[in-house]
Formats: sequence, structure tokens, C-alpha cells
Amino acid sequence: MAALSPRLSVVLAVALLALAAMQADARPIVTKEGVLPLGSELNEESLDQPNELFYSELAGGKRSYLLNLGDMLFSSPGILGGVARQAGMSCGTCHQQGHNNPKLFIPGLSHRPGTFDTSGALFNPKADNGVFDAVRVPSLRGAKYLAPYTHDGKFPTLREFTRNAIVNEFAGPEPSPQVLDALEAYLKEIAFLPNPKLGAGGRLTKNASEAARRGEALFNRPFPHDAAMSCAGCHRPDAAFVDHQLHDIGSGGLVKTPTLINANFNAPYFHDGRFDSYGEVVDYFDKQFALGLKDNERADLVAYLDAVGDAQEPTIRNSVEAELDEIAQFISVLDTAIPERNKDVIALTVDTVGGQWRELGESFPAAKDTSVQGGLAERRRARDMVRAIVLSLREIAMAAAGNDFESAAQVYAGYRQQLAQASAGVKAAEAWSLFNPEVREAHFAALNQLAKLAK
Amino acid sequence: MSVPIKIATLIALVLLVVSRADAQSLVKGAADCKPFAVEHIGIALAGAKEMQAAVKAGDAKAAQAAWIKSRKGWEAVEPITGEFFPKLDEVIDAWPDAKQGYHAIEAALFAGKLDDIGGPVDGLVANLTEFNKQLSAPSFKFEPQGLLNGATKLAYEIGENKSKGGESPYAGTSAEDIYENNEGIEAVYKLVFHETLKARDAKLAQRIVDKIEDVEGFVKGKDLKNVDAAGLNKAGEELAVLLQTAAPKLKLQKPKVGE
Repeated sequence: MAALSPRLSVVLAVALLALAAMQADARPIVTKEGVLPLGSELNEESLDQPNELFYSELAGGKRSYLLNLGDMLFSSPGILGGVARQAGMSCGTCHQQGHNNPKLFIPGLSHRPGTFDTSGALFNPKADNGVFDAVRVPSLRGAKYLAPYTHDGKFPTLREFTRNAIVNEFAGPEPSPQVLDALEAYLKEIAFLPNPKLGAGGRLTKNASEAARRGEALFNRPFPHDAAMSCAGCHRPDAAFVDHQLHDIGSGGLVKTPTLINANFNAPYFHDGRFDSYGEVVDYFDKQFALGLKDNERADLVAYLDAVGDAQEPTIRNSVEAELDEIAQFISVLDTAIPERNKDVIALTVDTVGGQWRELGESFPAAKDTSVQGGLAERRRARDMVRAIVLSLREIAMAAAGNDFESAAQVYAGYRQQLAQASAGVKAAEAWSLFNPEVREAHFAALNQLAKLAK
Repeated sequence: MSVPIKIATLIALVLLVVSRADAQSLVKGAADCKPFAVEHIGIALAGAKEMQAAVKAGDAKAAQAAWIKSRKGWEAVEPITGEFFPKLDEVIDAWPDAKQGYHAIEAALFAGKLDDIGGPVDGLVANLTEFNKQLSAPSFKFEPQGLLNGATKLAYEIGENKSKGGESPYAGTSAEDIYENNEGIEAVYKLVFHETLKARDAKLAQRIVDKIEDVEGFVKGKDLKNVDAAGLNKAGEELAVLLQTAAPKLKLQKPKVGE
């Protein structure tokens, strides 16, 4: 059998990865007409969403206006530009609920799911460096403890990191100070998920296994050929398992020490996402630093990483209730923005929340979707209510744009009244919505059948 | 009768006359919509028949061109399809179930596969023939409220997320679909509502005309890749809001945008 050319191999590999991504609930781009390349997968349809917790709420406090504004902006395509905005992408597309997106795949910009070349031509031709250097999309959990930012530690602060992502990576307009304030506030609030196996100072607790405890000792043990070095020397347990430094570990230049907290959910590993598992990571370090680990020691180190990287409830099942809750947090921005006559924030909020309502409405299959049986009256009612509420939001933006903030406030009050009825309506239809796995399967099977016909 | 009572009676009579005149004007406009709808369903049916012949002849390119022609006719009458012919609308425009209608045909046809689409094509021709028959029947009449509902609903749908390829992703004609949708909205608005609304609120009437032009500007001569999706979304929603705002001035109910 003749060897494949490197180019053909890449094409085949990309096709296989795209195929692998076509799971029951995946919905890759199927048309050349779309703004993203054929086979792109944004993983927007997944029922299981990363759990997102905020430090203020964990401490018994509440979400501030700035946090809600930042959270809303993080989900807003309106702060990005070019193809990203056109494709309806937001910061949250790559960092779902402030985490990562292990299924994200954009042909030409991803070499495997969960990676992305931030200096490719598609999203900002001005930033194109002509090198296919896709990196792992990082989780932003605990970001406030993890400076500097990006894999090569280019940005000392979250503010600079955020501005770069908006302007340089995704061709957005220069963000205003209030936009950056809010996004920074949001990012600093995204908490590590609780892990009962991890205690004070980054020490394992009694909840960890014996193997993990043995691994902890190995983790702290000096390297055989350089006693000044150890795993814990860079991944400092008492400092969120980072040292805020760049190191050359032979993987291709200087890279930032990544945190190990909640890392079970951060795969693929290494800056370029080359490894799928801790086993591969441990093998790499074993060889690279001539650690001379025995099989049982490798297993113990993996057990340790698995204990440190664990989390309680890493994902939550998405539901109508969860969507309504997020919408409620985002829309609360208008409580301040309308009295402040802040037109920009009102417009962004209406666009973002209106988009979320639309997506929620599309979770209730239309009468034309004959792949779904039952609950037609409930589905129709839910869709009707969602549409009415989207138009109420648009009316608020129109009034504000015309400097009629009194009308904007009145319509917003009306929205609040509509909301109770609409919430009840969408909850009543949930059994026949895409939040129900059976309905979802039927709907996506029909979509996949169309895609199959079109091949 | 006292003078104030006489004046009040006179005002009431004038309002009644004006109101009746408005209603008559809307009814006449609604009647004027029928030739537009018949013409475009005629285009949809003719295209479907051409597609049927091309499929039988094994000519994929001709069948694809005929699908696009048929689809253009259909998209232009979408303000009335769901509102006045919901059952036929459901089978002709079913999605995503790949058993019948335009989209079941589209997916295979634009991949150059003709073998399995003979049945759905025959079904489409039959359903469009039935649509044409019901629409053309002398007894069938459009009523203004339904037309306003249909136009408003379609304006809302114009704003739906098109980032994954829009309504006709395999044919690649989604921007044209939207253009034709907007043509349909414009026809309905101008034939039925514009003059009456202009007499009552000239500013609002003009805003609606301008907004229809805005929507057209987003899609005219463009493919979906080059359409400002966010701008189109906003313009579609704004048009729907303006049409809703017009309703009480037209003595009609606020249009519902659901199915």
C-alpha cells in the first residue's frame, strides 16, 4: 500500500475527526454557505453543560451587577467582530460556562477537537502568522490565580488577555472600559469546582485513595538527576498547582505551568493538546526528565493527578429551568442600564438575551418537525410565548435607541409580567422539547438523515 | 337633542364611516393580494413540474435549477402559507424529517442523487397543485388580520440564526429565500395596509417601508456568508415590532407571531 502524502493524511485525519465528532447530539456545519468551514463543530447542542460556580456565591454572597454584565457579555457575539460575530460565536463558544470546549473543532484551525489556532486567518486576517499552531482551549476556572495568561504567558493580567482575545483574535471593536471592567469581574469570579479529595495547602485529604497518596509523595520527590527539581516545584500544591512561570519542558518552547485543579475535565493535555490522558503525560515526563519510574509509580502518579484533578458535579444537565435562570441573570443588567440610559449596554443585552430566548424557543420543535410526536399544543404555546417575549425585548432596544427611556422602562416592566407566563409555558412543554433525550434523539436523527442524504 | 349630544353623535357617525372605510380598504387590499399569491404559487408549481421532468430525464443540473425556481415562488408566498394553509405548509416545507417536501428533496438533489427523490418530487407537485387549487377557488378570500399575522411572523423568522446555513443549507439559497420572504412581506404590506396606515400614522407607515428596504439591503445580491447576520436579525425583529405597532391603528388585533 502506497504511503499517503502528508497533505492527504492531514485531510483524512481532519475528516475522521469531524466524523468522530458527529455524535448523536453533534451538529457540525453541513453547508458551504455557512460562515464557518464545512465540518466545523461548536458543540452547542450538548445537554450536559460544564458546571459554573462563582466565588461570591460560594461565600454566601450574591452576583453583582458587574458580574452579571460580564457574564452576559461573555455570551455576546456583539463584542466580537468579523467571522466570529457573523457565526454567532461568543467567548462562551470556546469557554463554555467559563470552562473549555473539548469538542470544538474548526477545520484549518483545530488539529484535534478542543484545540484552536488563535492566529489563523479565518477570524482575523490581520493576526494571521502563517503558522498552524493550534493550542488547547484552556478552562478559565480559577483564572484569577493563574496569571500570566495564554500558554506562552504573553499577558500579565486578565484585562489584557481579554482585550487581546476580543480585538486581535476575534477582530472585535476596541472594548470600552466598562466592557473590560465587567469581563474582568466575571473572569475573576469563575471558581474552581469543589474537590473533597483536596484540602488546605493542596494536600490530599482522607477521601483520596492510597495509590493517590503514594503518588503525592512521588510528586514531591526530587528528580533523580536534579534534586532542585520536582513535579511540585512547578505545580506548587499550595499555590493552585502553578508557579506563574514559563518552562521549556521539551514540548516546543517556553510554556506556562498549567494548574492541575479540576484538570480531569481539561483534556486534551499540554499546550497543544497532544495528550489525551494522564498516563501519556506521566510517560512523557518520565522519559523527558529520566525519572526512572516503575510501572506502579506511574500508576500512583496518575492516581494522584486524578485525585487533584477531580471535582464534585463537573457537569450539570441543561434544562428549561437552567436556561431561564441564566436569562434572568443576564436580563437583570437592564435594571441598572435602563435608569442609567446606557444605550450600548441595553442594545447588547437585548441582542444577547433575545438570542438566548430564540435558542430556547427552537428547543420546542415546530409543527413542521414531524420527527417529533406529541405535545404539539404545548410546543406551539411555548414557541408563541418565546417569540412574543423576543419582540418585547426588541421593543425595549428600539425605544432606548430613540432616547425614549420611559417607554423602554414601561416595556421592560411588561416583559417582567410576560415572563411569569412565558416561564410557565416553556416549562409545561419541556417534556416535548430537545431537553428530553428521546425527543432530542429523534430530532437529531432526522437532521443526520438529511446530512446523510446530502453526502 | 342638546347641542353637545348632537356633536357627539356626529363625531361617532364620522368615526363609524371612517372605520368602515378603513375596513373596506383593508378588505379590498386583501383581495388584491390574491393575484400576487396565485402568481407565485404558480411559479412554485411550474418549477416543481420542471423538476419532476428533469428528475425523470436524469438531468440533475436542470432539476436543481428547477428546485431553486420553485423555491423562489414558495418563499415569496410564505406570509400566507402557514397562516391560511397550515396543513399543506407542514408537508410542503417539512423540516428536518427527510420524508417529504422541499427539504427532503433538497438534501439528495444537491448532492446529485436522483434515484430516491422521485416519490417526494411527485408528492411536492401534488401538494402544490392542491395548494394552487384551494388558493384559486373563487370562494377563498384572504382576510386582513391573517395577512398581518403572516407578515409579522415571517419578519420575525427572517431574524433567525443563519450561522449554520439557514433554511436551505444544501441548496445554498438561504439568502435568496430571505430576499423572497421580504418581497412577500412588502407585497402584503403595500397591497393591504400601507395606504390605510399612512392616513392614520404617516410616520409609522414610512418607518415600515424603510425597514422593509433595510431588510432587503442585508440580503440583496448576497450569499449567506456575506450577510450581516446580527444586523439582519435586528432588522427582522424591528420590522415585526413595527407591524405589531401598526395593528391597533389599522383596527386589527396585535398580530401573534406563533404558528
